[in-house]
Amino acid sequence: MLDAMIRARSIAVIGASQTKNAAGGDKLGTVALNYLLAHRYPGKVYPVNPKEAEIRGMPCFASVADVPDEIDLALIAVPAKASVAVMKDCAAKGVKTAVVLASGFGEAGEPELEADLIAAAKEGGVRFCGPNTNGLISIANDMVCCTSMVCAMDDFKKGDIAFLTQSGAVGGSMLGTGTEEQGGFSHWVSVGNEADLQVADYMDYLVDDPQTRVLALFIEGIRDPDKFTAALAKAAKAGKPVVVYKIGLSEVSAAAAASHTGAMVGSDAVFDAVCRKYGVVRVDDASDLLPTAITFSRLLNKLPQGTRMGVIGPSGGICGVCADECHRFGLDVPELSSAAQETLKQFIPPFGALRNPVDVTQQIRATPTGYQDTIRTVLEQDNIDGVFLLVTMVGEPRASFYCDIFTEAARATDKPVIIGWTGAQSLAAQAIPQLKKNQMPIYFSARGAVKAMRALLDYRRFLDARAEDGQ
Amino acid sequence: MTGSLDTARRIIADARAQGARTLSEYDSKQVLAAHGVPVTAEHLADDADGAARAAEKIGYPVVLKGNAPDLAHKTEAGLVEVGLADEAALRDAAARLLSKLPAGGGLLVQEMASGKREFLLGMTRDAQYGPCVTFGLGGIFAEALKDTVLRLTPVSETEALSMMDEIRAAALLGPYRGMPEADRDALARAIAGVSAAAVAHPEIAEIDVNPVIVADGGRPVAVDALVVLTSD
Repeated sequence: MLDAMIRARSIAVIGASQTKNAAGGDKLGTVALNYLLAHRYPGKVYPVNPKEAEIRGMPCFASVADVPDEIDLALIAVPAKASVAVMKDCAAKGVKTAVVLASGFGEAGEPELEADLIAAAKEGGVRFCGPNTNGLISIANDMVCCTSMVCAMDDFKKGDIAFLTQSGAVGGSMLGTGTEEQGGFSHWVSVGNEADLQVADYMDYLVDDPQTRVLALFIEGIRDPDKFTAALAKAAKAGKPVVVYKIGLSEVSAAAAASHTGAMVGSDAVFDAVCRKYGVVRVDDASDLLPTAITFSRLLNKLPQGTRMGVIGPSGGICGVCADECHRFGLDVPELSSAAQETLKQFIPPFGALRNPVDVTQQIRATPTGYQDTIRTVLEQDNIDGVFLLVTMVGEPRASFYCDIFTEAARATDKPVIIGWTGAQSLAAQAIPQLKKNQMPIYFSARGAVKAMRALLDYRRFLDARAEDGQ
Repeated sequence: MTGSLDTARRIIADARAQGARTLSEYDSKQVLAAHGVPVTAEHLADDADGAARAAEKIGYPVVLKGNAPDLAHKTEAGLVEVGLADEAALRDAAARLLSKLPAGGGLLVQEMASGKREFLLGMTRDAQYGPCVTFGLGGIFAEALKDTVLRLTPVSETEALSMMDEIRAAALLGPYRGMPEADRDALARAIAGVSAAAVAHPEIAEIDVNPVIVADGGRPVAVDALVVLTSD
């Protein structure tokens, strides 16, 4: 059913128009059509508008009924009240799925209008996204059915992160910044009012989607908890991590409680318990949502097997910061074996540190391969499960040299490597974008890097515990 | 298990038939004990003579409490007398309590479990995700410190052990200032027992077990308990 929506072969854009709105801008349907064409949708496009004969060089149909083709997806971009009639047309035509963009339904105190929309869709078995949505983008299928400004970006990067958001605005921002981080996406859905399809329905579909390996969710509330937990269980079974940011922490638990326990338990603690049970990666900072999902996407095949971290940096100060963050988040920084330290002694200037953290000193610059040899040696140790590479101030071209050797080292190992780049980014203007393009996990603080490693470890442990329970 | 599941079912059914919203402390503990929660040794009595006979069986010192359904805030109502060292003290306390008891109430004589470390166990039903079990720091500071962890049911004993490690005051469960380590396995059985009670009895809306005292030798014992029934 969702195939017809996410992998639509034909789209009717209903409400696209050559006339401008009152403010002189493009109408919603025109915006959507322009984005659809700009992102080179390969399927068939049918503009529908009774007042137009032609739009963007394409013939325009008076009604969806007139389109001489099957329609997989109707993009309904007319005002709320008109949407119901259009939905009836779609139902009569046998349109399989729809996106209803307009707001002005349940969220605006018009529940009857929303009920009418649902009834109209049900009549013809049309499954739909929205209303009150910015639409959906199937990056994997070059299909942009969306009015969010984020679609003004030249291109999205194809990848394996599916992103579901209950806020179109926040979701659009995050897709934009995530794209700037070179995050790769499979699909993006602004779920809107979830009058028909809910977050859990998309999740259920996406867990089976071969193009999706990581799910990111920005949510406010869950409509059907049983469906949601069933989808989480399915994701856990498939080994596809679900990264969640949920708003509503400040809500007071609505239920009146007779016991002291009841008075102490908030809805957030319950949601936390849900996350724990299903291995959900819950982030407590909205700005961590997509970076975390992106890191999972990059390191899903290299989850750390344990808590033992190698910390490599050019200064005792930054090494100490990272070691402290490891301590804070329950990761260990074990002393390297004496044999390993003997080996490192060949690469690192005498005033460096060899025990772990490994301080290579700024003088490592004087050696042609000292840095590479150090990183490789630490990664090869049996008592090391992952490595942090810390960077302080460094400018080009040295920064790009780091980019190259870090990337090479990370690609050559099956252990996770995360970069903590703490120096000025403007002086590493080639290196940092290139590291992102190389799909290297990179954070701009030691804490960010360590928190990400911790999340990877927790997920690994969740999967291991499931395997042990024979689930 | 010290009580039986049938007893637990009968207690709940009787209370519902009488329109009670909460079980008496005695009945609450019977229900919980049926699911493996360790509770104080205790007996019901109608009068001072009965209380004295019960205290002989339990051994002094004892605690005397008022016992009735829908009886909350016993301490504030002057219905709890602790540290009764002998029969004379017990009879004095019984006389005071009997004058304050609501109609239909009885006396509850129980062992004086002593220990400085107090925890709590609880169960609530979330409207969306169903029964949840809480474990945390108990006693009178519980609500101020809010040092609790929560899990969805069912909670296994293994899961219960992990809950103990997660409270901020986890160190209290280890050997602490000359006190022995708490019996974690027994505590895990108690946590799992609260979970089992929630699953077995949908008529239970909420459970409060506070405090669970870590008594001599590290054994946990539920000193007070409240089972709240659903109102439908």
